[in-house]
Amino acid sequence: MSILEVKNLKKSFGLSIVLENISFSLDKGESLAIIGSSGSGKTTLLRCLNFLEIPDAGTINVGSETIFDGNNPATLPDKEIRKRRLHFGLVFQSFNLFPQYTALKNITLACELLAKERSDYKENRKSIIADIEKKARTLMDQVGLSGKLDFYPHQLSGGQQQRVAIARALALNPDILCFDEPTSALDPELTGEVLKVIKSLADKRMTMVIVTHEMQFAREVSDKVLFIDNGIIVEYGTPEEIFVNPREERTKQFLERYSG
Amino acid sequence: MSFAVITQTLLEGFLITILIFIITLVFAIPLGLIVSFGSMSRIVPLRWLTRTFVWIIRGTPLILQVIIVFYGPGLIWGWTAFPRLEAVLIAFVINYAAYFSEIYRSGIESIPRGQYEAAQVLGMTKAQIFFKVILLQVIKRIVPPMANEIITLVKDTSLARVIAVREIIMEAEDFIKSAAIIWPLFYTGVFYLLFCGILTLLFNYLERRLSYFKV
Ligand SMILES: Nc1ncnc2c1ncn2[C@@H]1O[C@H](COP(=O)(O)OP(=O)(O)OP(=O)(O)O)[C@@H](O)[C@H]1O
Ligand SMILES: [Mg+2]
Repeated sequence: MSILEVKNLKKSFGLSIVLENISFSLDKGESLAIIGSSGSGKTTLLRCLNFLEIPDAGTINVGSETIFDGNNPATLPDKEIRKRRLHFGLVFQSFNLFPQYTALKNITLACELLAKERSDYKENRKSIIADIEKKARTLMDQVGLSGKLDFYPHQLSGGQQQRVAIARALALNPDILCFDEPTSALDPELTGEVLKVIKSLADKRMTMVIVTHEMQFAREVSDKVLFIDNGIIVEYGTPEEIFVNPREERTKQFLERYSG
Repeated sequence: MSFAVITQTLLEGFLITILIFIITLVFAIPLGLIVSFGSMSRIVPLRWLTRTFVWIIRGTPLILQVIIVFYGPGLIWGWTAFPRLEAVLIAFVINYAAYFSEIYRSGIESIPRGQYEAAQVLGMTKAQIFFKVILLQVIKRIVPPMANEIITLVKDTSLARVIAVREIIMEAEDFIKSAAIIWPLFYTGVFYLLFCGILTLLFNYLERRLSYFKV
């Protein structure tokens, strides 16, 4: 059963149409790689999923819940948007860790704030906080940074910062974790450690949407690949279909440029 | 004229100096925040109005503003004038609120959008984002320019004498007329230097306290 279903999504900024007729679906535990040249709309698509942009039309379903419906675009109250966007996590190209908090606190902060909304927060405060911290430690371990809990972001390398950012996103248990070119801001020798963490998540069947320029990685890690050009899906299929036997001329040209 | 008497007189003047300094800060620091919100408002007329106001206040001398607040209401509308000290305080608070608002604004605007967005996708509310993520970063960024502005305020207090508020320089200058001695004027410098020195230490301490992270 598909956990994510996007139908006819459309987004324009002013007069320029950035996304049109975007439809795809993703099963639980699958990874989708999104590839495409610069300016094709990949980031905008992820931002729509995460409610950082509001699409002009289309629908987004997560499980059986319609979280966005362009036919019925009632402006949602802030609280409802916050709730719905928590189906997704987002890892940014530029990490965006909070500089004034340690790695551990970066991970626990949002969880602690959310926990305050629980009805049993007052009674069980101590154990709730302890659980959150325990989980954060486990996540730091998972991304290979158990020794850096008390480091501030500026004391970490880019690759380490990005791994903390991944742990931070995982801490909220998103149904679908999105990555926007997670290694583009990194020195080449640091990309490996981040890709390895993403690969390990794929092996654990985390549902993911990964925008990337690393073709080799996309091929290894993904179950489905979506090639997008000028805001339109040109080709959508398995890694074999896209990378080995692309049908569209535009896909072939793009792959030639990037396997360069 | 004994040293003790002169010290005593200058201290009285310096109390007025410090009073202007403290009252100005107490009111201008929060008022500046309100002004900065106005100048960043999405409501265009409000933003435009606030920015014009800030431009006028920053583009004209404080001494002029002090004179206008003191004489203006009486001469223009025939009101009774504010008492001298109050007039100084009103002009100073408005003037410094305008300066502070620009510091706040550039501090707030310098925080990358990614910080807001990262917090948003983690499900934080607007208030949580401001208080838990943005505020401390803004404070760290504005401490150095605020320190500059506040040191300037210490010295600006001497403008109060233009409407005969007896701050320390006015007291010292009177000794030239009454006793033909100039050293009390140099002596006032000691007060200023000490006060600014203490403030500098305070700000250095604050900067050190915030140096555990980088923005
Ligand atoms: N807020 C915005 N306002 C106006 N235009 C925008 C905005 N955001 C993106 N665009 C435009 O939308 C198009 C798609 O941008 P997007 O960032 O989604 O591309 P991308 O595929 O992520 O590119 P890259 O590989 O360079 O990251 C671009 O032409 C961009 O200029
Ligand atoms: Mg992009």
